[in-house]
Amino acid sequence: MKLGIVIGKIWASKKVRELEGCKLSLVQPVTSEEKAVGFPLVVADPEGIGGSGDLVVYVTGTDATQAFHTGYAPVNASIVELVDEVN
Amino acid sequence: MFLAKVKKKVVSSHKHKAYQNRTIYLVKEVLPDGSELDTEWVAMDYVGAGVGDVVICGGAPGVARELFNLKQAPIRTLIMAVVDQIN
Repeated sequence: MKLGIVIGKIWASKKVRELEGCKLSLVQPVTSEEKAVGFPLVVADPEGIGGSGDLVVYVTGTDATQAFHTGYAPVNASIVELVDEVN
Repeated sequence: MFLAKVKKKVVSSHKHKAYQNRTIYLVKEVLPDGSELDTEWVAMDYVGAGVGDVVICGGAPGVARELFNLKQAPIRTLIMAVVDQIN
């Protein structure tokens, strides 16, 4: 899992059935000091956890599909936690 | 798997249900001599590690689901051992 900041929301009306009703966010990976690392990526947010500007934890790879209650979706990054504090 | 040092605790109140009542830490990759690299990960504790410990992190798709006996577990990085000594 990694830390990231939600920098935007993506709207797509035409998409695969598994992603219907799922929020898609643009996330900038950051360090614990909230310094940007690398390029932003598109991250699915099936539970609607992260809003714009929020620090979140996202999971990448095959395990990202597990964030969906069906356990299946064509994604490889999902938001799993809204961070209150890193200390 | 990789060696890492536990740096900080990640505190969150809004999270995926697989993350409830579990501790997640911010860890930083280290070399065998203890020098820190820049790469940071968010990892879920499975062995009772604490801040300052050198640990082994890793995981494979689906492993967290079996370890925690969950139907869905979007967890990729686990703290799987606390290192006593490297020689």
